[in-house]
Amino acid sequence: MRVISHDSSTAKSRSHCILLCLLSLFAAIAFASGAQAQERRPRRPQPEQAPPAEPPPAPPAEEKQEVKDRWLAVLNGKVHTASGPVLDGVTILCRNGRIAEIGPNLTLPDDCEQLDAAGHFVYPGLIAVRSQGIHGGGSPEDGTDVFSFNMSLALGAGITTAVTGDTAAKLTYGTLEGMIVKRGLFESLSYNSRDPAGKRRVREGLDRVRQHLRDVAAHEEEKRLNPEAKAPDDKWIRGPYATYLRLLKGEAAALVDANSAWELLQLADLAETYGIRIVVRGAYEAWTVAPKLSRAGMAAIITPRQRVDENTRSNRPTGSTIENARILHERGIRVAVTPTGSLFGPGYGISLGGLAGRDLLHLALEAAFAVRGGLSNSEAIKTVTIDAARILGIDSRVGSIEVGKDADFVITDGDLLHYMTLVRWTVVNGRIAYDKDKEGIYSHIRPGGDVNAPPPDEYWPRRLGVEWRRSRDVNAQP
Amino acid sequence: MNRLGNQSPQERTECTQGESEMRVNCGQRSMCMNQRSGPALLCLLSLFAAICFPHLAVAQEISAYRVGKIITMNEKDEVINNAVLIVRDGKIAEIGKASQVQIPEGAEVIEMSQCWLVPGFVELHNHSAGASTDLHDYVYLTNPDLRTLESVNPGTENFKLARAGGVTSALLISGSGTNMSGLGTVIKFAEGQMDDVVLKFPGSIKIAQAGNPERYWYRVGRSFMNYNTRQTLAAAQKYHRAWLDFESGKSTEQPLFDPIYDPFRDLFRGKFIASMHTQQFQVVMMSILMIQGEFGIKTVLDHSTFDGYKNAPTLHDHKDIVTIVGPRQLYFDPTQRRIFGIAQRWWQGAVRTLGINTDSPVIPQEELSYQAAMACYYGWRTYEAIRGLTRIGAEALLLEDRIGSLSPGKDADFCIWSGDPIDPRSVCWITVIDGKVVRDARNELRRF
Repeated sequence: MRVISHDSSTAKSRSHCILLCLLSLFAAIAFASGAQAQERRPRRPQPEQAPPAEPPPAPPAEEKQEVKDRWLAVLNGKVHTASGPVLDGVTILCRNGRIAEIGPNLTLPDDCEQLDAAGHFVYPGLIAVRSQGIHGGGSPEDGTDVFSFNMSLALGAGITTAVTGDTAAKLTYGTLEGMIVKRGLFESLSYNSRDPAGKRRVREGLDRVRQHLRDVAAHEEEKRLNPEAKAPDDKWIRGPYATYLRLLKGEAAALVDANSAWELLQLADLAETYGIRIVVRGAYEAWTVAPKLSRAGMAAIITPRQRVDENTRSNRPTGSTIENARILHERGIRVAVTPTGSLFGPGYGISLGGLAGRDLLHLALEAAFAVRGGLSNSEAIKTVTIDAARILGIDSRVGSIEVGKDADFVITDGDLLHYMTLVRWTVVNGRIAYDKDKEGIYSHIRPGGDVNAPPPDEYWPRRLGVEWRRSRDVNAQP
Repeated sequence: MNRLGNQSPQERTECTQGESEMRVNCGQRSMCMNQRSGPALLCLLSLFAAICFPHLAVAQEISAYRVGKIITMNEKDEVINNAVLIVRDGKIAEIGKASQVQIPEGAEVIEMSQCWLVPGFVELHNHSAGASTDLHDYVYLTNPDLRTLESVNPGTENFKLARAGGVTSALLISGSGTNMSGLGTVIKFAEGQMDDVVLKFPGSIKIAQAGNPERYWYRVGRSFMNYNTRQTLAAAQKYHRAWLDFESGKSTEQPLFDPIYDPFRDLFRGKFIASMHTQQFQVVMMSILMIQGEFGIKTVLDHSTFDGYKNAPTLHDHKDIVTIVGPRQLYFDPTQRRIFGIAQRWWQGAVRTLGINTDSPVIPQEELSYQAAMACYYGWRTYEAIRGLTRIGAEALLLEDRIGSLSPGKDADFCIWSGDPIDPRSVCWITVIDGKVVRDARNELRRF
């Protein structure tokens, strides 16, 4: 209030300046809420000297400044591309969040941010094929707190993309830019023995839509002879029929929770009969029917160490095995891995309850259990990177380190699947979204690889402290 | 006491080779016969055994394991590369470098030159004796005389999966829903009958300081629970002293036998331990100061989680306390905004008798080594973690002369791993208990 007092004093010019700013702000708000607002605005007499608030002059079109390219180079790391070879000591050059070039001795642009990953391993960012608690509910860009602690925790576990609901969303710490990778990943389909009538309805619906597609094709033929031919009615294709249409046209895959061999076989039949793509989640008995699932072109989201006892009242092999991932892979079934859960929550969540190793914070170690079951190290890494991306249908953007793909990396201090490996940096869309040393959550564990490091100093009260926080502070001056 | 545990090995050494083979395959003690009863039948049965169960018929008198690395976990912390271990009659006969150990003639040789041979893991906190659910009775707030022994059910899936995780021994204890919930049993995850399985009873007495007994129906609080525990121990101690006075002749009056307080006598004599369900700074502090400090009871701090590690300096005055961490391995300190590995924090507090537990079925028994992996992820170290899974557990149970490490004369309880046993990628191929192969996963589909 003091600022807009009528006193003309030595600080007049400064107060004018502040006044101008305030008025501009006010004007901006007023304009935003409608043109009429400006008419009603003045309730208080304006100071005489106050110049009228005016919008800043628009720059001439030809002088419009070009958006500067954002460069990031990851140097000297051992790069596991996931889709191809391991490249030792190469540079990954990223431009505006995409990988622009990979190779030795690249020439870097002048204003390129450089990340020296010497002695570290570079992997594509991990993909959580199912998640809870990282992004907000509903549409992620509306419901997500991009400064949430869970996001930092998940980034600290190397995750850069997570499926929330049926959307694949990036863990874009501190920004909403480039968060959404793909919406509508799957159509959900209920097809199980608990609801036999429902199963019949699904088949009847698929039959009807398939007949419709044939009618449409026949109509296309007919139109050539008779341009007046009436197109088949498609007004009824709504609700479940719209789902069936997308499935039959191959526009989406169906995501189905199924575990027992019997349910899996039923789904395989459905997939083969109608030529639709089915991704099964759970699938702990898939090893018993792998050839059939493979023939039906199914993919599986599994938990390698899921533990289910044998059903002794069955006439077929039952129960879980640690070798599930290997068997499915050998049969040509694409596998993605999601962790097992605990008393404190599901494996696809994030839990600080303390039962470590049974949530997304240790996604990579769940893949390590697939190695216990006989899968190779490199194939196991694929289950949380490129193969997960392929199952989700987002492999054109994420899941491997290739030119043209998104610059999402997890840079670790060792083999990703080793139990003493920690994430050093996580890069999302070409931005360093997590830095172990600055973030503080894990910085006291083996700092610089030192297993004998002393415990960190304790402090009170809580402080977020370091430069990292300051640089990420939303109120900070640019 | 210990009657079940101590009888079985002597009986076992009396059995001949043929008999022990038969016991593998028949799984019944009644089939165990002496040599007079028909050698022909014996041969026939052996043949039958060899045909039906070729991978199990290793229970010969002598077997030799030639491996890439043996982690002995003995007092000298020896690790031997290219090593041989000889088993004779269920005990370790010899152990050393392949170039120095003579493999006896007629010994069955198991050659796994790329693999590690590691002592069987010792679990100090398992509730799933035979069932898959928690083993517990909520009768009174203090039920020290309930026995887990009655619930042991050998041959369940849990037993098989424990072997798959490289666990060969476990202390089966009752739950933490009451302040004292009964006597624990040390078992081996062996095949066969109770005599084959039970190693020591009582193995421990379960005492829960806080963090569960509050659920008792009239909602007890922490101060009453401490009062209750202290009163019970004091009464038991009084009973023990009265008997000591009578036995030493100080008193001529024979005390009345009390079935509730009698098991405490061996506890006060230091023959078995108190398994303390304890966690958080204050509760762990009371466990140390009351149970060990006031009553001098050998104590194992089970769980020891949350910020319990802040008691590390107090623990320096109580050297013989064993601390085991689990099933929680991480503690998020909101003030520091850090995730701490609990085992690592105890270790940094210079606590060296440090082990790991699963609290099975909270964490499945077969994931004991994964608990250690988690402790290492959050800062602990591999060798210390393996020691925490083996020798520390055996020492805590006062059974270090039999299990938990590999040296001549000790029980042949060990596993052959494809590599570092802490690594979740490693496979436990072979599990041997009392010299007998109880798991050989080389030619079978593995559950775990």
